[in-house]
Amino acid sequence: MNRVAAFIVRRLVASVITLLLMITLTFVIFWAIPTTPAQFIYPLGQHLSNYQISHANHLLGLDRPKYVQWWNFVSHIARGDFGKQWSGAQVVGNTSIKQFPVGPQLFTATRITGSIVLGGAVLVLLLALPLGAVGARFRNSIGDRMLSLLTLLAICTHPMVLGLILRTVFGDQLKWLPDGGYCTFVSHPVSTAGIGFNGTVPCGGGPWPWAQHLILPWVSFALLFLALYTRMSRASVLEVMHEDFVRTARAKGATEKRVIGIHVLPNAGLRLLTMIGMEIGTAIGVAVYIEAAFGMFGLGRLAVNTFAGSSALDLPLVLAVVTMITLVVIVGNLVVDLVYVLLDPRVGGSTMRARRAERAEPVVVG
Amino acid sequence: MRDRTSAAAAIALLIVVVASLAGGPIASSALGHNGTDLFPYAVNANLKPVGPWAHIPDLNVARSLPDNTIAPPSKGTKRTLFILGADSNVGRDEFIILLDSGKASLEVGLGGVLVAILVGVPLGLLAGYFGRWIDAIVSRLTELVMAFPLILLLVLVSVRLRPTLEPISIRHVLPPGVFLVALTIGLFTAFYPLRLVRAQIKLLRNAEFVEAERMIGASDWRIIFRHLLPHLLPTLLVWGAVAVGTNILLEVGLSFIGAGVPLTTPTWGSMLVTTWGSIYAPRQYNASAFTPWLTIFPTLAIMISVVSLNQVAEGARRALAPRET
Repeated sequence: MNRVAAFIVRRLVASVITLLLMITLTFVIFWAIPTTPAQFIYPLGQHLSNYQISHANHLLGLDRPKYVQWWNFVSHIARGDFGKQWSGAQVVGNTSIKQFPVGPQLFTATRITGSIVLGGAVLVLLLALPLGAVGARFRNSIGDRMLSLLTLLAICTHPMVLGLILRTVFGDQLKWLPDGGYCTFVSHPVSTAGIGFNGTVPCGGGPWPWAQHLILPWVSFALLFLALYTRMSRASVLEVMHEDFVRTARAKGATEKRVIGIHVLPNAGLRLLTMIGMEIGTAIGVAVYIEAAFGMFGLGRLAVNTFAGSSALDLPLVLAVVTMITLVVIVGNLVVDLVYVLLDPRVGGSTMRARRAERAEPVVVG
Repeated sequence: MRDRTSAAAAIALLIVVVASLAGGPIASSALGHNGTDLFPYAVNANLKPVGPWAHIPDLNVARSLPDNTIAPPSKGTKRTLFILGADSNVGRDEFIILLDSGKASLEVGLGGVLVAILVGVPLGLLAGYFGRWIDAIVSRLTELVMAFPLILLLVLVSVRLRPTLEPISIRHVLPPGVFLVALTIGLFTAFYPLRLVRAQIKLLRNAEFVEAERMIGASDWRIIFRHLLPHLLPTLLVWGAVAVGTNILLEVGLSFIGAGVPLTTPTWGSMLVTTWGSIYAPRQYNASAFTPWLTIFPTLAIMISVVSLNQVAEGARRALAPRET
C-alpha cells in the first residue's frame, strides 16, 4: 500500500503545480493583450471616458496590484466557488456592483459533460476491446480489413453530423428516445436545464431519465472514438499475444478461449486504459459538438461561448473554464493511472512517465 | 509495386488533388454555370433542392405569381445539368461547389502541416540536441498545452487573430481566411513534430557517426543540419501525410463553431454547416427537405482524402523502414 500512497502524494503535488501554472499562464497572457474590462460595466458601446474606465476598473477591483488580483482568483478557486464573472455586471448606486457567480453554470455544465464523456468512455472500452481482439485473432482476414475500413469511415463523419442523424432518426422520427436535452441524475421538482432546439419537455430527473437522455450522446461519442480504440486495442492485443506469458499459457495446453480471455484481454485492456486517460482533453473538445447536436449546455459549449466572443474576454469566466477543464483532465488521468498502479504491480512512477512519453501519434478527431 | 493498397490510395489522392485544383473551372465551363450562380428552378415550392442528376431550366431569375409561387419557365427554355443536385434553398450546383471546396480544405490541411513543421522542427531540434533547461521548458509547456482540448485553443486564438489575419490572401491561389486557419492549426499542432523530432534527436545525439563528426571538430550547427536533419525526413513525411487529413477534419470542426474559413469561400466543412447548421443553431430535421446527398458527398470527399492520406502514410512508413513488418 506504501507504493500506492507515495504515488498518490507525488501526483497530487504535481497536479496542484500544473493547475497553478495553467492559471498563471492564462492570467499573464490575458493581461499581455490590450483589453478594456470597463466595457462589461458600460456595455452600451459608447466611447468610454477616462473617468468611466478608471471607475469601472475600481468597481471590478482591477486597480489593485496584479498579484493581489491573481491571489484573489486563486483563493476563490481554492474555496471552490470560482468567483464572479464580469459580463452582466450591474452598477448599484454608483459605488458598488452586482455580479453573477460563475459557480452554478460551471458546475451544471461540468456535470453534463462529465456524464457524456464518462458513459461514452465506458461504452468505448466495452466495445473496442472485443472488436480489437477479434481483429487481432483473425488478422488480415476479410472481417479484419472491413473492421479497420469501417473504423476509418466512422472517424470521417463529423460528430455533429453523426449526433444530429442519430437524434433525427431515434429521437424525432422513431421516438424511441428523448429528442435531445439533458435530464439531471438526481430527481427534483422540475428542471428546465438544457432545453433543446425544438423545446425539450422539462423533466423531473432521476437515474433512468438521465440515462435515457444520454444514450444517443453516448453512442455518437463511442462511434467516433471506437474507430481509434479498436485499432489501438487490435495493436495492443497483437503485442500482448507475442509475450512470454502467453506462450507459456499455450505451452501448458490452455484453450484458445482461455488464453485470449484470461491472459491477453486483461493485459491489452490495461494498455487501452492508459491511452483513454491521455485523450480526456480531446474528449472534451468532441463534447462541444455532441452537446450542440443534442441541445445540452455542457462544459464544451460553455468554453466555446466564453472563448469565441469577438468582444473582450471575461477573465474570471475564462479562468474558471480553463481551471475546470484542466482539473477534469488531471483528475481523469489520476484515476486512470491509479487503476493502472493498483492492477499492475510492476508499475512505479518512472515507468509511468516512460509510458506517457511514448505518446506522439496525432489523434484524428475534430 | 507490391503494396497495391498504398498505390491505389496514392492514385485516389492524386485524383482528389487534381479535381480540387482544376475540376471546378473545367466543370463550370463544361456545364455552363458556376458554383455561385443561383437557380430558382433548382428548388421546389417547399424550398427543397433538387436531387442528383437533375436537368434544371437554365434561368437565374424567375417571375413570381400572385400566390407566391414562381411561374413555370416558358417553353423551349434551355436546361442545364446538376450532377449532384442543388446545395440549399438558394439553388446552387452541389457538384461544382464540392470541387471548388476541395481547394480551400486541402490548402488548410497542407498549410497547417507546413506551419507545424516550420515551428515544431527547430524547437524539437533545440530541445533534443541541447537538452537541459531548454528541453525542460519546452517539454513542460508542451505537456501543459497538449492536455487542453485542441479545438478550444484554436477557437480562442483564431477569433482573436481574425481581424488582422483574415484578409491575407493571394488572388486565385489563397482565398481569404485560409492563411489564418492554417496558421492557427499549424501553431497548435506543432507539438507533434516537436515531440517526434525531440525524441529522435535524443536517440541520435550520442550515435557513433555524431561522435565521429564531433571528433573531427564539426560545429553543432553542421551536425544538426548536415547529419541529423536527413534522418528526420521519413518520420516527418509520415506524420505530415496523416496530419493533412487530421487538419481537414479540424477545419470541419472549426466551420461548425464559426471559427473556420469565412462562408464566401466554400470548404467541405462549410458545405456540411450549410446543411446541418452551426453549433449555435443546429438544423431541425424537416421531412419535406430531406436531402441526404448534401451530407453524403462532402463526407465522402473528406473520407477519400483522409483514408487515402492515412494509407499513403502507412505505405511510406513501411517502405522507409524495411526492417519492420
